[in-house]
This record gives sequence, structure tokens and C-alpha cells, in this order.
Amino acid sequence: MRARPATGRLFPLLHVLGMILGVFGLTMLLPLAISEFTDDAAQRAYDVAVLATLAAGLALWLAGRHRRQELRAWDGILLVVLTWLLTPLFAALPLLIYLPGLSFTDAYFETMSGLTTTGATVLTGLDKLPASIHIWRAQLHWLGGLGVIVLVVAVLPLLGVGGRQMFRAETPGPMKDDKLTPRMAETAKGLWKVYSLLTLACIGLYWAFGMTPADAVVHAFSVMGLGGFSSHDASFGYFRSLPLELITVVFAAIAGLNFSLHFLALRGRSLAPYRTDPEIRWYFLFLLGSCLGLGLLLWLLGIYTSLPQALRDASFSVVSMATTLGLATADFGQWPTFMGLWLLFLCSFTTSAGSTGGGIKMLRAVLLYKQVHRELMRLLHPRAEIPVRLGSRTVPDKILYAVLAFFFVYVASIVALSFLLSLSGLDILTAFSAVVVTLNNTGPGLGRVGPSTTFAGLTDFQTWLCTFSMLLGRLELFTLLVVLTPVFWRR
Amino acid sequence: MPVMRRRVFPILHVLGMIVMVFGLSMLAPLLLAELTRDGAQRAYDLAAPITIGSGLVLWLGGRHWRRELKTRDGILLVVLTWTLLPAFATLPLLLHMPGLGVADAYFEAMSGLTATGATVLSGLDDLPPSINLWRAQLHWLGGLGIIVLVTAVLPLLGVGGRQMFKSETPTPMKDTKLTPRMAETAKGLWLVYVMLTSVCITVLWVLGMSFFDAVVHAFSIMGLGGFSSHDASMGYFDSIPLEIAVAVFALLAGINFATHFAALRGRRWGVYRHDPEIRWYLSFVLLSGLALALLLWQRDVFLDLSDALRYTLFNTISVATTLGFATTDYGQWPFFAGLWLMFLCSFSTSAGSTGGGIKMMRAILLFKQVYRELERLVHPDARIPMRLGREVVPNKIVYAVLAFMFIYVASIVTLSFALSFTGLDVLTSFSAVVGCINNTGPGLGQVGPATTYAVLTDFQAWVCSFAMLLGRLELFTLLVVLTPAFWRR
Repeated sequence: MRARPATGRLFPLLHVLGMILGVFGLTMLLPLAISEFTDDAAQRAYDVAVLATLAAGLALWLAGRHRRQELRAWDGILLVVLTWLLTPLFAALPLLIYLPGLSFTDAYFETMSGLTTTGATVLTGLDKLPASIHIWRAQLHWLGGLGVIVLVVAVLPLLGVGGRQMFRAETPGPMKDDKLTPRMAETAKGLWKVYSLLTLACIGLYWAFGMTPADAVVHAFSVMGLGGFSSHDASFGYFRSLPLELITVVFAAIAGLNFSLHFLALRGRSLAPYRTDPEIRWYFLFLLGSCLGLGLLLWLLGIYTSLPQALRDASFSVVSMATTLGLATADFGQWPTFMGLWLLFLCSFTTSAGSTGGGIKMLRAVLLYKQVHRELMRLLHPRAEIPVRLGSRTVPDKILYAVLAFFFVYVASIVALSFLLSLSGLDILTAFSAVVVTLNNTGPGLGRVGPSTTFAGLTDFQTWLCTFSMLLGRLELFTLLVVLTPVFWRR
Repeated sequence: MPVMRRRVFPILHVLGMIVMVFGLSMLAPLLLAELTRDGAQRAYDLAAPITIGSGLVLWLGGRHWRRELKTRDGILLVVLTWTLLPAFATLPLLLHMPGLGVADAYFEAMSGLTATGATVLSGLDDLPPSINLWRAQLHWLGGLGIIVLVTAVLPLLGVGGRQMFKSETPTPMKDTKLTPRMAETAKGLWLVYVMLTSVCITVLWVLGMSFFDAVVHAFSIMGLGGFSSHDASMGYFDSIPLEIAVAVFALLAGINFATHFAALRGRRWGVYRHDPEIRWYLSFVLLSGLALALLLWQRDVFLDLSDALRYTLFNTISVATTLGFATTDYGQWPFFAGLWLMFLCSFSTSAGSTGGGIKMMRAILLFKQVYRELERLVHPDARIPMRLGREVVPNKIVYAVLAFMFIYVASIVTLSFALSFTGLDVLTSFSAVVGCINNTGPGLGQVGPATTYAVLTDFQAWVCSFAMLLGRLELFTLLVVLTPAFWRR
């Protein structure tokens, strides 16, 4: 096959990219409708944004129409990267127009944070912003979560990334299926249905227990996408309501699990998928253990005088951070530092592959641990062939390799980005926690980006680094990095 | 207990020999104490016989159970050696300074034998010379032990990553005995080590150190330890020629001793050019030094460019090679500079040197593996072999290196948590763990180059001692002993 020039690979994508932008522009109609309905001052912002986005989408679609062809694996990679680069750009338009004091750097950070379901914000005075803006921000989370589900279930396994591909009932070789099969479209649709159902249930419950309809929608969008944006500066602490916190904890925990499980359970009306999933037991073990542990410690160390209150705040913080949601009821930045660090640690690996959460995913953590155990055993029995098992299946070496390499890149990314932030003047705690929470798409960190404040204090350079970090994490590292290698463009 | 009889008793014989030899080495500081009448004689008078006696008991008692050593015996022997010898090494310290406490004394001794160089002692300038000699001697013996460990023992166990360079059979488990060839190699390396130490002592002496200081610091440098006889470390001397000499010898000690041996034996300097680690090692260290010097000068940390170059290069080389001498308080430098130094000491030194860290070779393999994974995304069916120099690296080794990296990070995270949990601030916790697990020495924050590790509570001192041991034994060697499978049939 003769090599195509670099620009040659772009055209087949433009068609699809145009469609994506078009759909994205259509979703802006929701906040526009709300804006018209509530007659806030933001109508013009949405008018312009909708038009610009639809126009751009149409232009791309038309440009690419004649050259469209079947998308191959590496086209998929480029498409994914371009989608997550461009949609925040257009998403920033309403913000830039409505809030003229907001710099482009900050606006792009905010929308990237929205679409990667991170939830780190540069905005203050949230309580005064109109409902349409809040809906728009939270909607980014919800759409981002949708996008993640498609990404992880359909796209990444094609590329041999994501680690979940061994659970596909199709052929194990990641490159055998390099087309989007009807089956995959079926699966995606089914998952969207579950996602939407759960969101509706969450909205209903929030509303029933006291939230205004707008707040209910905003926070349900935020929770299901495991984002973290709120319509209040005080985040979830604004409500001070135990029932609402419980609802959040339950739905966040659900959203942190593989959506395929929910789909299979609902379709088959049985709990069996949950029982056989290899990630679940560790997921709940870490969650429950941390809730209890931190709760008890907070009480024993005298930071909370009431044990129930300590457990309540600890549990909310643990579940919120571990699932990479990022809503807050307590300022855990004031807790002893090792507790904050434990929360950061949890958000790095707790959520399951196939959820809307971030981090390296529990599946990889489990595989890493098993691989290390195998290396130890190899020291003792060097000639033994010891397979690594997950559930009842043997994990092929190829996947273990990829997981180990992934871990290394993950650590290297954290080190490199922390250095850069530190080089530009941030203290070590802020620098490190900012990188960890953005790379894991969590939200608030510690130090000067803690839960009681925002990311507004960062310089432009630091903000761009964090934006990059969010994108890197959401695209599971390799998807973005491979686009930056010369090998990718040569083929 | 049958487990004891099966696992432990067969090695007591060899362990006894090692302890005896170690006890005999105490005669050096004992002699010095007698000659200089520095007040510590009594400590050695008690410590030496106790150690030699214990070794004798173990040797005689173990003779009954001796048999040919297998892999597992080797592992256990290594672990017990590095746990037991520091215990005996604490004797002179505790006897001379009873107020020191067991936790701190063991920390100091472990720091000595793992060639870390983190100290809990202050007032070094006022300590009896024999105590300072003993401390530095631990470094030197530790370095000796490391060389044997890495070139002879660890490759047997399939750890260490260097086994692919053995011209013997590539699978690590074919040789399960210490062959005469291995003993030859070990002897050759010791010769190089001793030679370089002698040259170092001479050079330092000629350039102005007292003979005693020259010996102490040469021992420290060749083992890449970091103990000094002065609180101000190398800053005490304030001498550029000395700093240059120390830097050069530290860089040499950070190179694989097998490479030195090959070069000296065959008088072929080309060996250095073919070593795959050296170019990265020197590039990283020297370029970092230069870049940091320029950055620090630009930020007015040093007003003079020559000052910036002098202090930055020395301290960068010192930390990167995991030596741990200091000429200035780099804890006062902008954060990223101190962090970069900590980063360097994690991987710069070569496998087969006396340095610590994950070793440059593993770092190189890790990067190559990542690049290979990225290429696989684009060419999923290609078979892309991993090369280092001219040799192909078997997948088994790449695996081991990746797993090693994971354990390394997990260890740092866990131990930092343990320290942080008990009250230390984040910077001190993290840098203490990094400084200890890489066997470097000073960290940042409250364990920075201007101070000591005395701030640690007993529990924290034990955690750091564990970190030092873990790092020196290349993680797996120690961890496997802690698994139940090790003790089962």
C-alpha cells in the first residue's frame, strides 16, 4: 500500500468529525432553550455558539464527503484526539461571550474540564451565574461521560488499549475487527440507554428530596459523568442534606462501575454479572475500607467531635474522590495531609474500566499486582510457567505488557508534569495534586487547588499544562501520545 | 521447627563465616582507637570479640547442616547478611554512645552498610576518629558486598537486570552454584575496587586532606555512601581541587565495575564507549548539572556564574551518583531543582556500580519498551525486538524490569504514606523515602543536606532503615522472603 501524505489521512475523518460537531452544536439548543425560557442575559452567547458550531460541523462534513472511506484503526485514534480537542473549543464559545473577563486559556480549561468529566473549575461566584450556563457546564460532563463509554467500549479495544478488550466476546486479537460492527453499535446504544435511565432516576430522586429542578439536572449530569461541576461555590456542601448526600454516594458508586455490567444486569434481570466481575470486590473493598478508616481516624484525631459526622463527611469525600467525581461537602484540604494524599491515591485506580471515571482503572491495578506476584513466584520457581488469571480467564502476555508499559507512562507523566508545574513556581503539594487530579479527571486537589478554592490561581502556562493533563488522562495516555510520534504519521 | 531446619540452618555455616570476617574488620578501628587513644577503645574491645564469637558459633554450629546452596538459600543468605551485619555494626556505636538508642544506631549502621549515607549523628567533627573510620568502613565494605551481590548473586536469582550480559548461558537458572569463573570475576572486581580506592586516597591526600580524612572520604566515595567526618560534609574543606577529585571518583564509582575491569585488564578504553549505560549516565548527570547551574544563576541563587557551576555541578553529581556529599544547602534552592536531583538519583547510576536507584539500564529498557508499545499501536502485527547495544534483550527481562518499576513506585508510595501518617510533612516524607530507597543519603525538607535524620521518631527511623535495605537488595530479593511461598516446600 503506498504511503499517503499526512494531509491525506485527515480528509476521511473530516466527514465524521463534521457529524460529531453538528450533533454537539445541536446539544447547545438545550441551554439555549433554557436561556430563552428564563430570559437570562446569555441568549446571545448561545445564539452565536450554536451557529458557529453547526456551521463548522457542516463545513467539515461537506469537505470530507467525497473522500470518505472506511475508517481504520489509526484513523480512529486521530478522530478521537481531534474530537476531544475541538469540542471544548466550540464549547468555550458561550462562556467566552457571556463572561467577557474570562481569558481563552481559562475558558478552554473549563470546557476541557467539562468534557473530560474532570470538574476542576476556574470560575467563582457560581451561585450568581444563570441556570443556562450551569446546565451547559454540567451537560458537558454528561456528554463527556457518554463519549467515554463509547470510547472505552468500542474505540479503544480496536486500538488494543484500555485493557478491557480481553473481555470482548469477539476475537481476542484487537486488530481483527477494524470496522465498527453492527454489534458494537448495538452495544453502544444499550449502554447509552442504561446511562440515560440512571441519569433520569438520579434527577428524579434529587428533585424528590428537595433540590430545585435545575439543580437536580445539573448535579445528576455531574454525578453520572463523574465530573464534579456544581452550580454552587460550596459544591455539594451547599445543600447540607444527608439524603441528598446518600443519593450522590450511591449513584457515584454505580457510575464508577463498568456500564456493561449494568446493561447486562438490567437486560437479563439478574445480579450475576456483578458477582463475577473481577474488579467489583476490590472496588468496594477500597471504598468501604477507606470510608471507615478515614472516618474513624478523623474522629480519633479529634478533627471531628462526632463520629457519625466524621463518617458522613469521610464517606462522601472518599466516594467522591475515589470515583473521580470531585464534588465536595467538607474541605479535606484542612485534614491531615496524609488523608488528602490517600484520597488522591484512591482516585488513581479505583474506578472500573468501562465506567465514566478516570485513573488507571481497577482492572489495570489488579493486573499489575498479579504480575508482580508472578515475578516474585518466578524467583522461586524460575522454570515454572505461571499464568495470570482474572476471574476464570487467563490474561494473555500481550495485555500484561501493555498494562505495565501503561503504568510506566502514567508515572512518567505525573513526574514530568509535576516538574513543569513546580518549575513555573507552584509549591510541591499544589503541583503534584494538580497533576494527579487532572490526569485522573477528578477535580479538586490539595494545597492551592484544594476543595475550598478553584484553579483560578494558576498562571496561563500552568493552566495549559493542566488542560493537557486532563486530555492525556481521559484519552488513556497512549491514544494521545501515539499521535505525537513520527511513526504514526509515516504510515 | 522443620521450616527453620530446612531453610535457615543450611546457611548458618556461610553466614557465620561472613559475620566472623566482619568482626575481624573491626580490628581496623580498634587499632586506630588504641593508637590515638581517642576514648572508644572499650567499645571495640567488646564489639569485636562479640561479633567474631557469634560468627564462630554460627559457623561451627551450622557445619552440621551444611549442603550445597540453592537459589533460595542464596536469597535468604543475602537478606540475613544485610539484616544481621548492621546489628553487629551497631555495637561499637551503642557502646560508645549509649544515649543513641537502638532505632537510631541500627539506622546509622544500615545506612553505612547499604552505602546510603543518611546520618542521625551530629557533632561529627568531635567524634573519635575510630568511630568515623568505622562508619566510613561500613560504606566501603558495603560497596564491596554490593559488587559481589550484583555480579555474582543476583544474576543467579534472575534479578538485577545485568544477567543478559553474562557470556554464560542466558537463562539465569542454569548456573545454580558459585562457579570458579564467578569467583574469578568477583576477585577481579575487588581488585579494581581496591585499586581505585587507593588511588582516591592518594589523590585526596595530595590535594590537601589529612591522611585520615582522605581514607574516610575515599571509603565513602568508592562505596558511593556519603558519610563524612565533618558535619559540613565536603563543604568543610571549601577546596575546588578536592571537589573536582571527589566528583571524578564519584562518577567513576557510578560506572559498572565490570566495565572498569574489562578496560584495565585488556587496556582497551573502547570498552567504555561500548557500554550502553555510560553515555546516558554521563549525559543526564552532566547536562542536568549545567542546566541547573544556568537556571540557578539566572534566578540569582548564585550571583557568580563560576560559583553556580562549581556548587551546582558538584552537588548534582553527588546526588545523582547516590553519593550524598554536599557542599551547599541545596534544600534552599528552588523546589524543582531539589526535586530534579531526587529524580536523578533514582536511575542514573549503572548496574554493577556501587550506586543505588533503579539503575540506568532499567531506565533505558523502560523507555524502549514504551516506544515499542507506541509502535505496536500503529503496527500491531510487527515483531519489534528490543536491543541494548548490539544484543537483543529477551522479553523475560523486559517483563521483570517493568514489574520492578511498579514495585519501586508502590514502595515509595507506601513508605511515604507510612511516614506521612506518623506526622512528617509531605516533602520530608517523600524525600526521606526517595533518599533511602535509592541509598543516596540526604533528602529535602527536614532531612535536607543542612541537617540530619535525627528528626525522625523511632518508628520513622525503622521505616527508613527498611527502605534502605529494600533499595539495596533491589526490592525483589527482600520481598520474596516475605512471601509464604518462599518458606513452603
